[in-house]
Parts: sequence; structure tokens; C-alpha cells
Amino acid sequence: MKINIPFIKHIAELSRIKLSKDELEKFTPQMKTILDSATVVQDVNTEGKQPMKRHIPFSTLREDEAGETLTQDEVLKNAPHKELGFIKVYGKVFGSIEES
Amino acid sequence: MGNDKYDLIVGLEIHIQTKTKSKMFCSCPTGYFHEEPNTHVCPVCLGLPGALPVPNKRAIELCILMGLATKCVIADEIYFDRKHYFYPDLPKGYQISQYKNPICSNGKVELSNSTVEIERIHQEEDVAKSTHHIESGTGLDYSLIDYNKSGVPLIEIVTKPCIRSAQEAKEYATRIRQIARYLNISDADMEKGQMRCEPNISIQEKGKWDYKDGMITAIGDYKLNPKVEIKNIGSITAVEKSIEYEFKRLSEALESAEEIVQQTRGWNADRGITEFQRSKETADDYRYMAEPDIPVIEISQEDIARISEELVELPHEKIVRYKEGYKLSEYDAEVLSAERNVAEFYDKLVEELDKEIKDLPTSAKLASNSITGTIFSWLNEKGISISEADLDLDDLVEWNLALHENEITKSKAEELLKKSLDKGEDLSNLLDVFRTKAKKSAGNIEDIVKDVIKENQNAVEDYKDGKKASLGFLIGQVMQKTQGTADPNEARSILMEELEK
Ligand SMILES: [Zn+2]
Repeated sequence: MKINIPFIKHIAELSRIKLSKDELEKFTPQMKTILDSATVVQDVNTEGKQPMKRHIPFSTLREDEAGETLTQDEVLKNAPHKELGFIKVYGKVFGSIEES
Repeated sequence: MGNDKYDLIVGLEIHIQTKTKSKMFCSCPTGYFHEEPNTHVCPVCLGLPGALPVPNKRAIELCILMGLATKCVIADEIYFDRKHYFYPDLPKGYQISQYKNPICSNGKVELSNSTVEIERIHQEEDVAKSTHHIESGTGLDYSLIDYNKSGVPLIEIVTKPCIRSAQEAKEYATRIRQIARYLNISDADMEKGQMRCEPNISIQEKGKWDYKDGMITAIGDYKLNPKVEIKNIGSITAVEKSIEYEFKRLSEALESAEEIVQQTRGWNADRGITEFQRSKETADDYRYMAEPDIPVIEISQEDIARISEELVELPHEKIVRYKEGYKLSEYDAEVLSAERNVAEFYDKLVEELDKEIKDLPTSAKLASNSITGTIFSWLNEKGISISEADLDLDDLVEWNLALHENEITKSKAEELLKKSLDKGEDLSNLLDVFRTKAKKSAGNIEDIVKDVIKENQNAVEDYKDGKKASLGFLIGQVMQKTQGTADPNEARSILMEELEK
């Protein structure tokens, strides 16, 4: 993976973050440092090792019963904007994203 | 489908909301239709920090059931993954889905003339509902979000690119909907968004491409044309129409040397056209990763055996049995198997009827006629389903036997059945009344014929002058006098006998 300005710009766009030219120049080497330090784990020999993840039997899954919910007032409490019981989000919604 | 130059290649993605009481990863109730916005939500489906997903056992059972019904291989371990993208309808910033290891894979669905290969069926969660607006006064764009739908269990059924006509795509989508309804996996009501279809379409020059191992490949140095994906399809008819439209549009574009780019288009049902939404020149970048908050779920053979107890004979299997065992026509077999409650009622009727008749094709045909005739048109008229109608199985058996033994004419029988349905009158009683009357007039049909001849001398003269149509009139008179209890064939022969004298 090449950590350069176009790559960081792409990551920022995916996260809907606008970065200025200065910011891109500042963040790119920082990001490179972060990712480089994480590459240490790639040197570990994992041959023949299974991923460590907890396993649970199907029978222990949650039974399908409906339970308590928040009230509409509670839900809207954290929303900076609201209207008619909906959460209101300003801005043009990007067209380039899948819905489901 | 295709034309002289191009073949049509279609793959279909179908999303179905499965029928559970609670959401996929939290206990919020699912029945959000027409409910106040943001009243069926909790920290999990709102994506609040620190909230943890807890998978719904029933939802996974329904996903497996769909896989079993479509002959898929069921995984013995279930993994969830995070699919990242930023959009207001997805509050966590990712959707919990399955990427590398779907629960079900490599299945198939039999259609009337082909088999559709299923690539995978995986479990995921639905997103919130958002509507987009422009604020009056400020002119600002904004969206209103209702999180009630967020986290509702959703399965995605993906076919291989093996569908070759719009009609086949329609039949496949219809079949999937039937299976979902038969097995109570979902009501699959497209108008309510419980089922959504997204065809992806390409057209390729005849003889220039190959289909192998679920993939379309180019032959020689042919360059494959890119795919077009269609969204916003609100009905099964629109699946067929949008594909037909797109085939024509793509053929014309290629013929006029237009370059086709990979793109997403929306179906506009009012205008019957697809409209450009966005190009997909770069592959979507969802940065999938394993969902760390959900353990690996182990499925045992016992689990699968228990779930498969919910399987019943499916419509395409019924169609085969109806055609081969019952000798029904393709049409009757399709119509009778389309809904589970109709098919089950029909099966019971045939079984009971055949205890008397002891000739399966005869019993099957009689039962088929009674359901697809008077009963269907009455149900249609009332707009109700067969389970809502108060149909008595024994009475219908008696009614069919009366017809079979020529005790009653078809039209009289239908009249009685309709009367019983309309007025809620006991069909068996109506048949008894009819029989009593029939007995009364049976002995004196010859007298009645003589009366009719005496009273209708003009018609008799006309008949003798060669107007054969008068005979029909005279038969009608006999039927009227016997209140429809006479056998019209018998009335005809006695009349002709008398008229020849
Ligand atoms: Zn919830």
C-alpha cells in the first residue's frame, strides 16, 4: 500500500472529510508513521495458527422477542436538528454511495 | 432474449426483509410500517458509541431456511463483517453484513424452462429510511431520517449472471417471492419495501463470450461491455420491463458507437424508462473487516435438521406433481400452487374427493375447476384470500360429486355455489333443496316438454320451418319450468323426440 497524498485524499473522501492541500501535506507523513508502526505485527509468524475468535453455539443466540425501546424524545435529544419526529441532516446527500 | 447481434446477460440481487418480531442485532420491534418515526429504536440500531450487537436467532434461521429451499450449501460457521460507508441512513458508519463467508452458497431455483443458479444468500441489517428535501426560505438541502427501519433483518439473495431474458428474471423473482411467502420467511410485499430487486445487466455480441463457473468471459480479443445496475424497482412487472428497456437502450447505444460506462440507473415507473444515476468507474471501496463484536456462530447438523422441518413442498415441486400426477394443465398447476393456502386447500379437496371417485386425474380436474372457477372469481370480487373465506371442505366434496355424477348441470351448480358464498348459506342444504325439486320434476319431464310445446306453438312452427335456434329457446322454457333441475341434454332429446312426432 503506497501512502501518498492521493491515497490519503481518497481515505478522507470516503469518510466525507474535506482536507485542504496543507492538511494533506501534513497528515500524509503522519499517517505513514502510524501505519509503519502497525506493520510490526505483520512480521509475526502466524503459519498454521487459527484466528483467535470466540466461538458460540447457534442455540445460545438471542431469542426473537421484542423488548424496550427509547422514546422519540430520548432519540431526538442528541440530534442537533430535528423536524416532525425525524432527525434532520443538512447537506446534499452524496449520490455515490450504495443504499443497502 | 436477445436480437440478431446481442445476447442479454442478467444477474439479480434480491433483498428481503425477513419476518421477525425483533431487529437483527437488538430487541427493538420490527413492525415499523406507518408508525411514528424514531419510536422503534435503541442505542444499538441508532449506532450510539459502545452499544453492542446481539444476533437474532430466528433471523438466522430464516436465512438458513431460504438457503435450504434454494438447495444452497449451508456454512457450519457464521461470520459477520463490517461494510463501511458514510451516509446518514447508516448511523454506525458501517453496515453489519457478510463478505467472504455468506451463510448460504451455491444454490439453485428451478423455473419452468430453466434453472437459475444462486451464488450466495447472506444476512445483513437494513438501513434507516431517509427522504431528501430543500428547505424553503434558505434553499438548503436536507434529509429527514427515521431509524425505525435501521437494523431490521435483511437477507440478500444473489444469482450468478445466468439469466438470459427479462421474462426469466421476472419468473425467478416471482418464484423467490413465492418461496419466501410459502415458508413464512417474509410477506415480501414490494410496495412496503419488504422485497427489493436489483438487476445488473450487460449485453454482449453473440458468439464472443462464454459463461463458465458463474463468470462471463470474453472469447479471443473481444472486450466485454460493462454492466448496468438498476435500482428503485417497485414491482415484479418492473423487473421485466426495466430489463427489456435496458436491453433496447444498450443495443441502440452500441449500434450508434456510443461508449457504455459501468453505471447505476433508476427505474422510472411512470415513464417506463431507466434514468442515469451515477457512473461506477471505480470499484466501490467498502473497507470490509471482520466484525469484532460478534463471535463466530457454530451451526450443527442438528440445528440444520431442526430448521429444515419448516420446509414444505414448494410451488415448483407442486407444479410438477400437479402436471405429472394430476394431469393438470401448466396454467392450472401454476395458478393453484401460487399461494400456499390455496394449494393446501386444493390438496385436501383432491384427497377427500378421490376417496369417493378413486381416479386421481378426474378428482384433481374437478377440484381444480371448482377452485379456479367460481371460487377464484368470488375471492377476487371480494378481494379476500381463500383462508379468509368460510369454505367447507365436506360441502365442496359433495358439490363436486353431484357435478361428477351429472346430478346437476354446471351452470346450476355454479349458481348454487355462488349463492352459498354470497349469502353465507350452507352449500349442502342448497344441494338438498335442489335434489328434492329435481326429484319432483324428474318423473314428469315428458309432461313438461309437452306443456312447453303446447304453450309455444310459434317457436315450434319456426323449428319445423328450419329455424334450429328455436330449439334453444324451447330448452330454456323446459329449464325454467323445472327451475333448472332438469338435465338440459335430457330436455333436448325429449324435445326433439316430441317435435319429430
Ligand atoms: Zn434497536
